[in-house]
Amino acid sequence: MKPQRIRSLRVLRRLLPDMGQMPRASLDARTLYALATLLLLVQIPHLLHLPAWVSLSAATLVGLRLMLLRKPDVRWLTPLLSPISLTLMATASAVFIKLDFGYFIGRDPSVAFLYILVAAKFAEIRRPSDATLLLCLAAFLLLTQYFYSQTILAALITLPAVLALAYALAILRDPANPARTPEQLKLAGVLLLQGLPLAALLFAVFPRLPGPLWSLPEDAMARTGLSDSMSPGSIGQLSQSDEVAFRVEFDGPVPSPDQRYWRGPVLSEFDGRHWSASPLRLETTPSFRGNPDSIVDYTVMLQPHQQRWLFALDAAVSLPRSFDAAADGTGNPAAGGQTENGSNPNAARRQSRVIGRLMSDGQMISGKPVSQVLRYRQSSVLLDSIRPARRPSDETLFLPGRNTRTIAFANELRQSLDSDLAYAQAILDHFHREPFHYTLRPQLLGDTPVDEFLFDTRAGFCEHYAAAFVVLMRGAGIPARVVTGYLGGEMNRDYMIVRQSDAHAWTEAFIEGTWRRFDPTGAVAPSRVEQGLAAALPGESFVPRLSRRQAGWIRDAQLRWDALNHGWQRLVVDFDNDSQDKLWDRLGLATPALWQITVIVLLLAATWCAVVLGLPGMGRSKPPPIERLWQRLCRVLGTHRLARAANESTSEYRARACARWPGQATRLEGLFRDFDSLRFQPLEVDRQLARLRGVRRELRRLEWALLLQSR
Amino acid sequence: MNQPASAAADGHALADVTTIDNITTTLPAVLQQLEEVLMGKREQTTMALACLLARGHLLIEDVPGVGKTTLAHALGATLGLAWTRVQFTSDLLPADVVGVTIFDSGNHAFQFKPGPVFTAILLADEINRAPPRAQSALLEAMEERQVTVDGVSHALDDDFFVIATQNPMDQLGAFPLPESQLDRFLVGIEIGYPDTATERALLERGDQRTEIAALEPLLDVRQLQRWRSQCAQVYISPPIFDYIQALLQATRQSSTGLSPRAGLSLVRLCRAFAFLHNRSHVLPEDVRDVFPALAGHRLTGHVSSGQMRARELLEQVVMP
Repeated sequence: MKPQRIRSLRVLRRLLPDMGQMPRASLDARTLYALATLLLLVQIPHLLHLPAWVSLSAATLVGLRLMLLRKPDVRWLTPLLSPISLTLMATASAVFIKLDFGYFIGRDPSVAFLYILVAAKFAEIRRPSDATLLLCLAAFLLLTQYFYSQTILAALITLPAVLALAYALAILRDPANPARTPEQLKLAGVLLLQGLPLAALLFAVFPRLPGPLWSLPEDAMARTGLSDSMSPGSIGQLSQSDEVAFRVEFDGPVPSPDQRYWRGPVLSEFDGRHWSASPLRLETTPSFRGNPDSIVDYTVMLQPHQQRWLFALDAAVSLPRSFDAAADGTGNPAAGGQTENGSNPNAARRQSRVIGRLMSDGQMISGKPVSQVLRYRQSSVLLDSIRPARRPSDETLFLPGRNTRTIAFANELRQSLDSDLAYAQAILDHFHREPFHYTLRPQLLGDTPVDEFLFDTRAGFCEHYAAAFVVLMRGAGIPARVVTGYLGGEMNRDYMIVRQSDAHAWTEAFIEGTWRRFDPTGAVAPSRVEQGLAAALPGESFVPRLSRRQAGWIRDAQLRWDALNHGWQRLVVDFDNDSQDKLWDRLGLATPALWQITVIVLLLAATWCAVVLGLPGMGRSKPPPIERLWQRLCRVLGTHRLARAANESTSEYRARACARWPGQATRLEGLFRDFDSLRFQPLEVDRQLARLRGVRRELRRLEWALLLQSR
Repeated sequence: MNQPASAAADGHALADVTTIDNITTTLPAVLQQLEEVLMGKREQTTMALACLLARGHLLIEDVPGVGKTTLAHALGATLGLAWTRVQFTSDLLPADVVGVTIFDSGNHAFQFKPGPVFTAILLADEINRAPPRAQSALLEAMEERQVTVDGVSHALDDDFFVIATQNPMDQLGAFPLPESQLDRFLVGIEIGYPDTATERALLERGDQRTEIAALEPLLDVRQLQRWRSQCAQVYISPPIFDYIQALLQATRQSSTGLSPRAGLSLVRLCRAFAFLHNRSHVLPEDVRDVFPALAGHRLTGHVSSGQMRARELLEQVVMP
């Protein structure tokens, strides 16, 4: 039985000549090492978001292949890296990925699988064509990195891999070229730089699809940000994050700090401890009758927070609209839902899309969760009261049975006053007058948090004050609700940054037919409203560094970095077909047809190639490295007032230099001797390179020495 | 300047060790002996020797009595070569230089009587006093290294080396050599008066010309030929060639410049000059130092004015 099976295996092997064979060492070590380096560099950006076992197994596969290269005699390696076992391994990894992630069709598991497949391809590589395929795969794997992040850092981190890609391509295409790695790298770098204008051109004119090419299935991701519920301490925690929530560009003047109430989730339901959004909400249309000059127009760039709400200054008078080239500073966007300004041809051609709805509680809801940076236009009027379409629902009056002390206090106080407004003011006065503290680190509260806060601890963050205020209002029979969002924002040059540390909770009470905004935090710590968190909490080390008022150059650098990221987001990542149209407009051209773009690109590319390749004189007239070094030496000595005469021989020049700087005589002698032998004597290539390195080093030292002496 | 050790290690040293020894000991001795005879004229003797090694001919332009004959005599004696002297006069005939065919009545046959050119070193004194016919007979012999008399070619000595002298042009009764003829002289130099100290020593010591005959030859013909073949192997790097080309170009900016033949001669002379400095490669200063001697007589027809012009050109061209 057994011999028979072996024989049939042999037959099988003969039928499938490629199966089961070991990778032949037909690719030279240099190519393999270049590819391994490339894979390493490609994998680095993925390390952050892939499971450790995926990274490890991929690295192991690469390592095994390199081991086979070093020790071709190791017997167990050959079958391990045969196509059959690699196929089995890939299948197994697919199963593991499914088990680990719980699903397979999605961004993360697919990238993980590709990651392993690329490493497996490397393990079985044997022909140059395999290497070419691997290069393409590596390039694609590099691209998948942008599914996760599109920031400048993400782009920068891919640059070494791009260089490695070009290098691998260079040695794959020209395996006979014996040039050393630094020279090859230099060549690859020069080629990449020469390709840069072409890439920029294609970036600018290559037609964009209006939406993403494919929609990635959503992956659950933990994000910091507001949530749809609030309990004591939740916003306080959020306030310790430096992360940017969104950025805003105002068309006109920037509102003063105490008017920057960015409305987010409105929380009406209360179970005695937690506040949450009401499930019963109706859609409404924004309306505004009044002076149109008081409308504030702005563009919000919302960082992805995986939730559906959008932010607007209180109170929104328009629906959020997709950012569009026509509306960028030239036209006044829809106020109250009207289309503006027919004189602008662009506006007539493109209607900006409405991307969200306004709910009856004043909250703005987008059609789908915000999973990438969302840019939208918004208009608001800075009011502290909202006139509702209908009477407030009962839940804005509901109080669970706990917090009895608070309710008793509310009833007592209300009866002593004659109006709801006076009552609200009295509560604020109470907060102001009594020894309440504003702090990020309040004591933990028990089962009746509002009672404990109001009468015992008297120290809390904005959500404590907001919750207490609403409970007090409801206790007196006045409808009230908590509004969460952001208060403040910091100007960085021409735009505003709103950070998580600006998260805030305030309240609204229904008095005399309108929802009026009350910010009890302002009664305790007015500086929080006027100047921000850091001003209100001067002594607390829990305030994030970027929110502090004096943090010196670190803060300055961070702000500059943020400005850079903002520009990157606006100019590069958000560069879409609208931006292209705008570009053509700016050039005074109508948007050309596809074939016209093709012709333009081909013409410009040909011109550029002609510039790079067709002017060989530029490249050839450049003197060899040793001559350039010699010129550098003459220049250096020249700047120290020892210029060389036209017909001064090197030895005469050396004598003069040695007489001028006796301390450097030995170095000068050596340098000149090396220069003479490099420039005028026949040398073998190896010696020449070694001596060239020495000259370069000595020259650098001489430069420093002379510089220090001249000081 | 150049370490002999590194030159040897760089793999392009002169052919074999024995000759290296030979050069390092013999060469200084040769130069020393020449200088002893022609006091204080190291530059001129070196140039003359370089010219000889480069298989060129030497033109000396100077007034009589500064040591032209002494130089020729000393060269011949030191290198172990025969030398003759022809005084060129206005009635000199070509046959007086190259030789004649006469009828030998005893043998009943024509027989060639070799002229003074059949020697190793020929001193052609005051060449510009002879009429052009006689001049051109000599110049032809210089170029071809053979003379043809009555249809029969006679080869000259392999080391045939002419030292021609000419008077400065302001002297009367001179037939200036045409530029094409001047091109055949590899090097044109002036000897010049000795400086004060040298002249004092010379005066005190008295005329020692008689002692020249007693000089010992330091070299034999075979060694000279080996030196010549070694000269041809001296390395010239691309920057030096660039420099040479730049110099040639500079001469062509105005009036007549140097011909490609002159360029070839310059390369040869540079090699010989570097060899005389015991180097296996040419340095820029070699080119600079030999350039006036090579270009002077070619540029203006006179050594003195031409060398001045050549030095001006050197100031304009940047050395590598």
